[in-house]
Amino acid sequence: MNNFMAVVGFTLRNKLRTKSFVVITIIIAVILSIGVNLPYIISQFKSEEGATQVGYIASNIPEVAEPLKAYLGANEGSKVQLVSYPDAGSQDANEQALKQAIKDGKIKGYIVLEEDAATGFPKVTYKSENMMESGITGALRTALQAVKTENVIKDAGLSDAQKALLLMPIQIEAAQISVTDNVGTGKTVEQQGLAMGFVYAMIIVLFMGIFVTSQMIATEITAEKSSRVMEILVTSVAPLKQMFGKITGMFLVGLLQIVVYIVVFLVNVSLPHNKALLAGWNLNFGDLDPMLYVYALIFYLTGYFLYSTLCAAVGSIVSRTEDLAQAMMPVTMLAMVGFYIGIFGMTAADSTLVKVASFIPFFSPFAMFLRIGLTEPAWWEIVLTLGLLAVTIFVLGWISAKIYRTGVLMYGKRPTFKELRKAMKAYKV
Amino acid sequence: MKPLALERVSKQYGEKTAVNQISLDVGAGEIYGLLGANGAGKTTTMRMVLGLIYPDSGKILYKGKPYSQEQLSMLGYLPEERGMYPKVKISDQVIYLAQLRGMARKDADRNLKAWLEKFNISEYYNMKIEELSKGNQQKIQFIASVIHDPQILILDEAFSGLDPVNVELLKKTVKELRDGGKTILFSTHRMEHVEELCRNITIMHRSNPVIQGSLKEIKKQFNRERVILGADVPIHGLEGVAGVKKVEELEQGNGYTIWIDREETAQELLHHAMKQTVLTRFELLEPTLNEIFIRSVGESNE
Repeated sequence: MNNFMAVVGFTLRNKLRTKSFVVITIIIAVILSIGVNLPYIISQFKSEEGATQVGYIASNIPEVAEPLKAYLGANEGSKVQLVSYPDAGSQDANEQALKQAIKDGKIKGYIVLEEDAATGFPKVTYKSENMMESGITGALRTALQAVKTENVIKDAGLSDAQKALLLMPIQIEAAQISVTDNVGTGKTVEQQGLAMGFVYAMIIVLFMGIFVTSQMIATEITAEKSSRVMEILVTSVAPLKQMFGKITGMFLVGLLQIVVYIVVFLVNVSLPHNKALLAGWNLNFGDLDPMLYVYALIFYLTGYFLYSTLCAAVGSIVSRTEDLAQAMMPVTMLAMVGFYIGIFGMTAADSTLVKVASFIPFFSPFAMFLRIGLTEPAWWEIVLTLGLLAVTIFVLGWISAKIYRTGVLMYGKRPTFKELRKAMKAYKV
Repeated sequence: MKPLALERVSKQYGEKTAVNQISLDVGAGEIYGLLGANGAGKTTTMRMVLGLIYPDSGKILYKGKPYSQEQLSMLGYLPEERGMYPKVKISDQVIYLAQLRGMARKDADRNLKAWLEKFNISEYYNMKIEELSKGNQQKIQFIASVIHDPQILILDEAFSGLDPVNVELLKKTVKELRDGGKTILFSTHRMEHVEELCRNITIMHRSNPVIQGSLKEIKKQFNRERVILGADVPIHGLEGVAGVKKVEELEQGNGYTIWIDREETAQELLHHAMKQTVLTRFELLEPTLNEIFIRSVGESNE
């Protein structure tokens, strides 16, 4: 037990002292802080900017332009405001004047209206220096649509109430319900968004915690082999103790890293300006099912031990760090597939693919967590998944330990499975 | 009860026999030489002693007891392929290795400082392995293998890659350990080290122990087949003496090395030479270990 703790301690200390590790952790923490504050930073810029000024010539089909200006002016949050310019006489002179206004920074662009007999409504052209300003053209389109509708229904003899009804935008609200139990949870849109965001973030964290940390184990073991310090290690401590000591030590490193990120995240979120922003969006982390946190932890643990034992086995059969990436390929693929099922399954958490994946141990930490977060899987499904995971961890851990015991003593080219089996027999492991 | 005893130990790797029926025992305060060409089975034998791999048959006894995890703390191992953590502070990794062998942190630290002092390299305590010269890395590696004061020490090619000054330093240290009552199993290609350090040896060839016993006895079994003749003037007709196999002039031109088939021939050579001139030197050399090694390993090669 003493040895075991020595291995854990040494792994932990060494990793935490590595410059690259510390630097990467700080960089990610900084990126995370920026990410959390980004909405606030953007909102700061926006309020300074105000509405975009768009010019037009006053005499250019005033029966459309005037109501358009009035509509945009009346709408408080409108992104576009119209500014009228006097008719300079000819079309060329008009355009010249408007272009000058753009140059002076008074307007961003201008609109030109042309009579169009075919549709009975003028053709509108928005001219500006920039391309594809969909925000501005979109706002103009909405306003023009309203103007056009009003033009048409003006003479239809509708009451004001009817007009208001007609012009009111349609809203769709989505509510998630549960069909497995009788009481619908009925999450609101905000709660769904929050759950979605949380699951999304957690799947990334899971991937990092599970795979990136496991990969570090493989790298360290191969490094120990290639620097030949392994020769002394295996003669000092039982290989199993060494392997699980390393896995445990690295687990603590990964956990610490995640805790740092979570603390950075929470500190940033609870800054006054961000708090107000979150409140404005109706987001409250207390709305999450507390079981979701528990499941996140469970899948982190199971996923980590599943992948770390595999990585330890792979690391042990490779003698040189250059060969490691290639040997890791199958494990990398498994982890990647699991991760992408989790990310792309987000929009279709009920699909067969996600359901099937949630029972395959290598994918289930991602897929089942996704299902628990976004849908309502039956309790037996969760139990089955965890059971399968536990069995796989046990079996793979056992096989990996055997491979490790053999692999650390084999130098030279990467052994084939046959050679490995032969060696296992010879070493009597 | 010998601290380390191997009884008819064999090891197979699939079809191939790596070690065949080796028996040896090493006493306290003894350095036992294990010799052999590359691939002769030395490393496999040592690995079995270390408990890394289990013998297919035969027994390995440590103070009369079979291998168990507790034995690890009384074993010290200097592997042929040297290696430490290149980017970890020396104090950190040596203390870690000592801890793995059941030492308390404090004791390990004290021992490390004492050893560094002994080798006059105290300033390396806080440095990293990659910052040291190769010779100093080897010293650190040596310290790592003896820091926990093991009863049984296994040194695989202990002096390879060292300059003469450091070889002497380590040789002195190994002798001190021997005199301190340690049991040392020692493998090398360098025969002169064996002659200087070892009382008993085993020469292995293609998995088999071919020659075993005390160095003195072994040398007696081999004929003295080499004569050195010293003279200031050339001696003629040496090749003509019955039983002479080969004659070679010494580099300095002041004598000859003559290979003969049996010891009596030496006397005839002496008579033959004395008739011609006054000899400055006449010596019938006992075979060097090098010759014994090449003869025993070379013979079975044919």
